[in-house]
Amino acid sequence: MGQDGNVRIEVERSILQSADAAAAAIRELLSERRIFALNLISSPGSGKTTLIEALLARFDGKGGVAVVEGDIETEIDAERIRKHGVQVRQINTRTSCHIQPSRLLSVLREMDLSETRLLLVENVGNLVCPAEVPLGEDARVVLLSVTEGDEKPLKYPLVFKTSGLLVITKTDLLPYVTFDVERVHRAARAANPAVEIFEVSATTGAGMSALLDRIEALRAAKY
Amino acid sequence: MHELGIANEILGVALSEADRHAATKVTSIRLRVGVLRAVEPENLSFLFGHLARGTPAEGALLEIVEEPVRVECAACGTTEARSFTFECPRCKGPDISVTGGDSLSILSLDVDA
Repeated sequence: MGQDGNVRIEVERSILQSADAAAAAIRELLSERRIFALNLISSPGSGKTTLIEALLARFDGKGGVAVVEGDIETEIDAERIRKHGVQVRQINTRTSCHIQPSRLLSVLREMDLSETRLLLVENVGNLVCPAEVPLGEDARVVLLSVTEGDEKPLKYPLVFKTSGLLVITKTDLLPYVTFDVERVHRAARAANPAVEIFEVSATTGAGMSALLDRIEALRAAKY
Repeated sequence: MHELGIANEILGVALSEADRHAATKVTSIRLRVGVLRAVEPENLSFLFGHLARGTPAEGALLEIVEEPVRVECAACGTTEARSFTFECPRCKGPDISVTGGDSLSILSLDVDA
């Protein structure tokens, strides 16, 4: 109690409560339909869309992959994915630097998910804001390309703390850049001791099958 | 600019709580913000001030209680760090895990009732 007429209201509640509620609704929608969902997060240009394309190739003929693309503007990524003949929706976030769970929920409600087994959500390219907002995913995947620098887990700890899978991409470029892979491993494990780390090059194909196998196994373990 | 979304959520909670308690004005808002959230306090206050214009929360002060990074050092038992780290800030040991420091909560509001 402060001065006259001034009252203290104890609130003690998460600022992200409304986002958490929407994420819980997404989780429910997905589990009812037995859909395994990945939330892909990275800086712009680290290889999220490329990883999605590799997953589409892997799950081709095994039924039902759906993709939701998040970008500030444009349909470029959705058009790229649409060529693979899968269901894709683009969310343009405009002023927001991440996909809001309420927005994803309404998009999922509009989609035909009756055949879908795997949902891939590509978040807006950014290591900060997407880390703060759960989307009801089964696993969060953070990608880090070797051209970005090995200090990123120290600079953006939250995304590394909350991601179950870390994918180090563009490893074919390692001879040309200063990037201490071991340093990234150590920082990522400090942030999340349970993190699973993969080193891949989509260009040479190195490491890709181990990553795709793991994602397939995670989905099989859940459903 | 991720503070914009956070400021918007704070305003939403503040206005609904003020309304629930029939308060006419929100004078200050206490927040607990973990270091791992990388929130810039000045940026947050500026954006909040802008969003709150014309609402009962106009002019409300944001009081930020910073939550340190919570760690567990297997070697020396240190439990706090000032920033994210993968070596113990005290004994420099490598066997350290980060256990917390990502709070983002509204603790209380001061209102004129």
